[in-house]
Amino acid sequence: MRQRRSRRPVWVGLAAMAAFLAVFVIPFWFIFLQAMKDRRGAGRLNFAWPESWHFWGNLVEVVQTRDYLLLLAFFNSILITLGAVTLLVIFASMVGFVLSRRRTRLNGVVMALVLAGLMIPPAVVPTIWVLQGLNLFKTLHGMILIQVAYGLSFSILLYRAFIAGIPRELDEAAIIDGARPWQVFLRVILPLLKPVTVTNIVVQSIGIFNDFTNPLYYLPGRENVTVQLTLFNFQSQFSSQYNLLFMNILLITIPPLIVFIFFNRQIVAGMTAGAIKG
Amino acid sequence: MAQRQRHSPYPTWFFLPAAMVYGTLFLLPTVASLWFSLTRWDLYTAHFIGLDNFRQFFSEPFLVASVGNTLIYAVLTSGLKTVLGLLLAVLLVSPIIWRGTLRTIVFFPVLVSTIGIGITFTTLMHPTRGAINLGLEVIGIDGPGWLTDPGLALISVALVDVWKGVGLATVIYMAGLVSIPTDYYEASRIDGATRSQQFWRITLPLVWPATITVVTLSLIGGLRYFELIWAMTRGGPGFASDVVASTIYKQYQAGFYGLATAGNVVLFVLIAVIVLPLSLWFNRREVQA
Amino acid sequence: MQMTGLTLAGVTKSFGAVQVIKGVDLQVPVGAFCVFVGPSGCGKSTLLRMISGLDEVTAGTITIGGQDVTWAEPSARGIAMVFQSYALYPHMTVAQNIGFGLSLARLPKDQIAAKVAHAAALLQMSALLDRKPKQLSGGQRQRVAIGRAIVRDPKVFLFDEPLSNLDASLRAQMRLELTDLHKRIGATMIYVTHDQVEAMTMADQIVVLNAGRIEQVGTPMELYRAPATAFVAGFIGSPRMNLLGGPAATGLGCATYGIRPEHVALSTDEGRWPGVVRHLERLGPDALVYLLADGVGEIVARVEGETPLAPGDRVHASPLAGREHRFDDGGRRMMSIHPA
Repeated sequence: MRQRRSRRPVWVGLAAMAAFLAVFVIPFWFIFLQAMKDRRGAGRLNFAWPESWHFWGNLVEVVQTRDYLLLLAFFNSILITLGAVTLLVIFASMVGFVLSRRRTRLNGVVMALVLAGLMIPPAVVPTIWVLQGLNLFKTLHGMILIQVAYGLSFSILLYRAFIAGIPRELDEAAIIDGARPWQVFLRVILPLLKPVTVTNIVVQSIGIFNDFTNPLYYLPGRENVTVQLTLFNFQSQFSSQYNLLFMNILLITIPPLIVFIFFNRQIVAGMTAGAIKG
Repeated sequence: MAQRQRHSPYPTWFFLPAAMVYGTLFLLPTVASLWFSLTRWDLYTAHFIGLDNFRQFFSEPFLVASVGNTLIYAVLTSGLKTVLGLLLAVLLVSPIIWRGTLRTIVFFPVLVSTIGIGITFTTLMHPTRGAINLGLEVIGIDGPGWLTDPGLALISVALVDVWKGVGLATVIYMAGLVSIPTDYYEASRIDGATRSQQFWRITLPLVWPATITVVTLSLIGGLRYFELIWAMTRGGPGFASDVVASTIYKQYQAGFYGLATAGNVVLFVLIAVIVLPLSLWFNRREVQA
Repeated sequence: MQMTGLTLAGVTKSFGAVQVIKGVDLQVPVGAFCVFVGPSGCGKSTLLRMISGLDEVTAGTITIGGQDVTWAEPSARGIAMVFQSYALYPHMTVAQNIGFGLSLARLPKDQIAAKVAHAAALLQMSALLDRKPKQLSGGQRQRVAIGRAIVRDPKVFLFDEPLSNLDASLRAQMRLELTDLHKRIGATMIYVTHDQVEAMTMADQIVVLNAGRIEQVGTPMELYRAPATAFVAGFIGSPRMNLLGGPAATGLGCATYGIRPEHVALSTDEGRWPGVVRHLERLGPDALVYLLADGVGEIVARVEGETPLAPGDRVHASPLAGREHRFDDGGRRMMSIHPA
């Protein structure tokens, strides 16, 4: 009886691993193989081992396509991500701070507006209308502000929950020490928000980098193209060059992969914390 | 006695930067959409036409179909993510080997580009040359036209959506499972409960908050969804897999801005009508652990 | 003009319709160690927070060192506060914690360093200046909190139940250190606690609060010998004073009759109240005898040494002359029968 008990975890684990590999890993394996093959090999769309390895050749060709469009796209995507994430951290922590500390009726209104942001789908054409009115349509600045607007709800909830766990007495001690409100925030609270800020940065970065829909609407045009849009458009460009198409996919997967390797714990914590509070 | 107003250490102006961005770029368009959905519009001039956009939306067959598709898609993805997410979570918190690696594997698709996944699975789902159907051929099954059969296209996309998103549901459920005190299980073992009974009578009720979260999030996400559908089928074949979100884009591309905005309002109402009562019902049924 | 350390005049605090502090008048002499004591919810912490400026008064005035500070910002009142949880900034070193207020005031770095070093030396903490709070013990953290207060050179120190987070033996030691600190610095100190032992041992002046009102202000021994109300009588002194009400008290000429256990003499043959021993608590150097006296009720008597008494024994209890307390039906002290 005891022998059976202790072997069960191994059997179940093996079965699970086999199933998981088949379901979750094979598609990535396909991407990898396709990216390594030459044009003809990739065109067969099978799992055959590459006859010859074309990693560098494919990489260079994809990057050079359309005057190094992919490099421009990476630059734009990273710029948008960094800009939006920076603003999100500052704006959302400020709101989360006052929301968590102050007890007024305004809080109810603000919370309702924040939750609305999680539910209500953005009205795309009116947003374009507003952006045009502000001369922000088709600009990177506009895109950054859009990502901030759409990311505020999640970030604010995250900060509010975390700040509630910082004892109010720290604020009070600082006030007695003579700190003005912005000093309390900058010198006492903000340094203590490092864990949740890292989580927020990681979760938002991945979301913004992978975003396709919003740049599609608000950033059309070649000059400000993003990484996801480029991939989408290259489908016609590489109509029969599956090796190049999948090399593109591989390249796009690398930044989130790197973030995932280093910040796995923070990502999971962020997703569960924000979700369960909501 | 005259009372001087003292400044609060938590000033309201801290709300200002966020409020400006959120108000102009989210709230304002949302409110404006209610007006513009009642007009014929080209972004510069708006011509009031009452509820004509909505009448059109609910009379033209492909537009009405998109509403139906949206509901099917949302319920399907949400249901599968909830059920599979819970089962996978139960598996991944039990003492099996390679548990850590398995958790990583199941979560990784959540972080990858949707377009990339869409292209990959479109290729794999090619009716004659795709690896899936070729693999089925080997065991003697005639693989269907996953994305070419109008009756199947939407469901195929939904399956890929679940493939990509179930990891998130799993992670949320794992957090919920881990928070159930082991005392309950031990007490029930003494009472002689079987594993199945433990699952239905202890685990399921006590993991309720996570269930609420997963269902609500995936339902909202499913109703609003655009990216994968656009990447894999562009709403096709024909209009067989169009959802409200892709309809909005198509009308926008065609220059029917008023109609597109009306689609937004329809989506907004759809979400509100489904999710709000659901949330209220959920909160009333919450079990205090 | 008399220079008091702190004066409260008609201080009231309401939260909406609920009045939490009901008109408090108090004068604390300069350099006194004044303890606010009372049960939970009596308002002592609220009063302290109003003195600090963290909460606003609804009515009344607060004067510190002759200056009206009722509406001043906390940092402008000349006060410093030591919190119950110490409220040390977790991401700063001990030196940075102590010097935080000074750096906010833009003092030059060398001045800050000098003041911090002085405070640290006063509290024997010079070796800990580079540590972070999480590396310190409870007692050390408390000293850092005190150091942060000292460095502000305040006119009034405010302590909000600073010892309640420490274990019993550390508490006794810290009581001595705080009293010692007071002697060395000589500043006015307001100290809030619910522990009447701390109040009795540390205070120059005790303020007993109950339900938002001051019951009595006096020195520890004044409160012990002549409690002004039945509440103070039952609150101050350990073990608790025997308080009898009802027909027993009426028979003794008042609404509430009080006699401390240490002022009840026991004898096997004669005495005012005959009764039966119900229960004994032997503490070592003395014992508490719980007896049921005929016609009077349950009385606790303190007996020194190891008593041969046992439950069930018949015994007589007598109150010591001049140690009886009588309170009228308002709880106020009646004139005590008391030979000169």
